[in-house]
Amino acid sequence: MAAGGGGRADNGYGGQQPRRGEGPGALATADLVYQGFLCICALPNASIMFLLSCRWLVIAVGLVRAYLAKGSYHSLYYSIEKPLKFFQTGALLEVCIVPSSVVLTAFQVMSRVFLTWAVTHSVKEVQTEDSVLLFVVAWTITEIIRYSFYTFSLLNHLPYLIKWARYTLFIILYPMGVSGELLTIYAALPFVRQSGLYSISLPNKYNFSFDYYTFLILVMISYIPLFPQLYFHMLHQRRKVLSHTEEHKKSE
Amino acid sequence: FVSYQVEILDWKTKEQLCFLDKVEPNATIREIRSMFHKFYPQWYPARQSIKLDPKGKSLRNEEILQHLPVGTTATLYFKDLGPQIGWTTVFLIEYTGPLFIYFLFYFRMPFVYGLDERFTSSPHPVVNLACICHSFHYIKRLIETIFVHRFSHGTMPLRNIVKNCLYYWGFAAWLAYYINHPLYTPPSYGKKQINFAVIMFLLCEAGNFSIHVALSDLRRDGSKTRKIPYPTKNPFTWLFFFVSCPNYTYEVGTWISFTIMTQCVPVGLFTLLCFIQMTIWAKDKHYTYLREFKDYPSVRMPIIPFLL
Repeated sequence: MAAGGGGRADNGYGGQQPRRGEGPGALATADLVYQGFLCICALPNASIMFLLSCRWLVIAVGLVRAYLAKGSYHSLYYSIEKPLKFFQTGALLEVCIVPSSVVLTAFQVMSRVFLTWAVTHSVKEVQTEDSVLLFVVAWTITEIIRYSFYTFSLLNHLPYLIKWARYTLFIILYPMGVSGELLTIYAALPFVRQSGLYSISLPNKYNFSFDYYTFLILVMISYIPLFPQLYFHMLHQRRKVLSHTEEHKKSE
Repeated sequence: FVSYQVEILDWKTKEQLCFLDKVEPNATIREIRSMFHKFYPQWYPARQSIKLDPKGKSLRNEEILQHLPVGTTATLYFKDLGPQIGWTTVFLIEYTGPLFIYFLFYFRMPFVYGLDERFTSSPHPVVNLACICHSFHYIKRLIETIFVHRFSHGTMPLRNIVKNCLYYWGFAAWLAYYINHPLYTPPSYGKKQINFAVIMFLLCEAGNFSIHVALSDLRRDGSKTRKIPYPTKNPFTWLFFFVSCPNYTYEVGTWISFTIMTQCVPVGLFTLLCFIQMTIWAKDKHYTYLREFKDYPSVRMPIIPFLL
C-alpha cells in the first residue's frame, strides 16, 4: 500500500531519488472523494469521525511497513508522502466538522498544511531529514488518539484510557512535533536562501517584494508566543477534564 | 409621587455595589450613572455599562427610570467596560499617523532606504502625485473628524486604539515603502492609467465627503437617534438610491483608484482588506436600518448597488 513495491539498489540511507508512481494513488483519491461526500451527505457524526481516524491509521501502517521493508528510517518520508499530503490537505474540511474550537483547529490545520506543502514538499533536500520523521510520527499518534476520542465521545462510550491518552500523551507529543517542525524549517533555510524559493525582489511591475527566507524565520519566531499558549491550554484542559472524571468516579 | 429605590449589583458576582434611595421616577440613566460615579470615582460614566439583565445590553443615557420594566425598587447590573477613549481622539491619532509616516518614506529618511538614497527624490511624477493624494485623503479625514462627524457613541475601549493604530500605521508604512522605493516601477499604461486613476480618486473623495456631510446633517439638531438617509440635491448623494452606506462605497473606490495609480500590490492588498471590513460594517448598518424602519427602501443594498 503506502510502502509500494519496487526494490532499491542502495542501502536505504540518504541521498536517493524520491520514488514516484508507486503509492496509494487510488486510496488517497478515494479518501478525498469520500471526504467531500461526507460533507454533503448527512452521515451520523460518529461514522464520520471513525472514517477520519482511519486515514491516520493508513499513514501509521504505511510507516511501519516501510520501516520493516527497508530496515532504516531515513527515507520513510517518501513512503507516506502522498497520503500525508492528501490527508493533511483534506483536514481543511474538518475545521467545520470537528467538535473543538474553530480557531484552534483552524490554526493547527493551517500550520500542518504549511509544513507539509510549503516546507517539506517544496524543499526537496529536507525530505531525508530525521526531523520530518519526528513530526510525522508525532502528528500520526496524536491524530489517531484524537479521532478515536471524538468517535467514542459521539458514540457515548468513551473508555477512560482514550480520554487519558488524549489529555496526557500530548505532553510528550506536542514538544516532539514542534521540535520536528522547527528543525525541518531550520534545515530548509539554506536551500531557500540559495534557490530564492517563493521570493520576489524589486524592481518588478507589481512593486512588491517577498523574501521567503525571512518569512520562514518569522514563522519560527512565532512559535515562541504561540506554542506555550496552546500547550498551557491543553494542560489546563487536562486538569479540568481528568479531575472532573475523578470526582464523577468518586460520586458513583 | 412615588420615589424609586435603585440597587446596582455587579453583573458577575451579584454583590451590591450601591444603593440609591429616593430616586425621581423621571431620572435618566445618565443621572444614575453620575450618581454611581460619586460612589466610585474611578468608574467614570463612559466606562459604566448599566443593564437590566446581567447578560443584556447596556442601557442608553436617555432612558428614563419609570419607563423601564422595573418595580419601584429597581435592580440594575453594572459592568466595567475598562478605560475608554473618545472616538474623536481615536480618529485623530489613527489618521495623523499614516500622514506623517508616509512622509518619512517620501522624503527618504536615511534609516528607510539606506544612507546612499537618503533625501533623494524619485524621477517619477506619479510618486509625487501619490504622496499628494495620500496626504489629501488623510487630511480630509482629519478635517471631517473635527468638523463633520457626529458620533452616536462617545467612547470606545482603550485597547482598541492599539489594535487600530497598528493596522493603519503598519499598512501606511508598508505601502509607502514600495511606492517611494528607489526601484519603484511606474504603472504599465503610463499617463493614461495615472490620469484615469486621479479622476476616479477625486470623484470618490468628493462623493465620500458629500455623504459624510449628508449624514451629519441628519443629526443637526443634536439628536443621537438614527434616521433614514435620503439623496439630496448633491448628485454624489444619489448613490443613496441604491446603497445604504455610500460613504463606504466611495471609500473603496478611493483605494481602488489609488491602487490603479500606483500599480502596487501592497496597496491592492490594503484595498482588499478595506473592502472586506467595510462590507461587514455596511451589512451591519443595513440590517440595523431594516430592523428599525419598516418603510426602508427595498431597492437598497448594503455597499454595492444590486450586488452586495
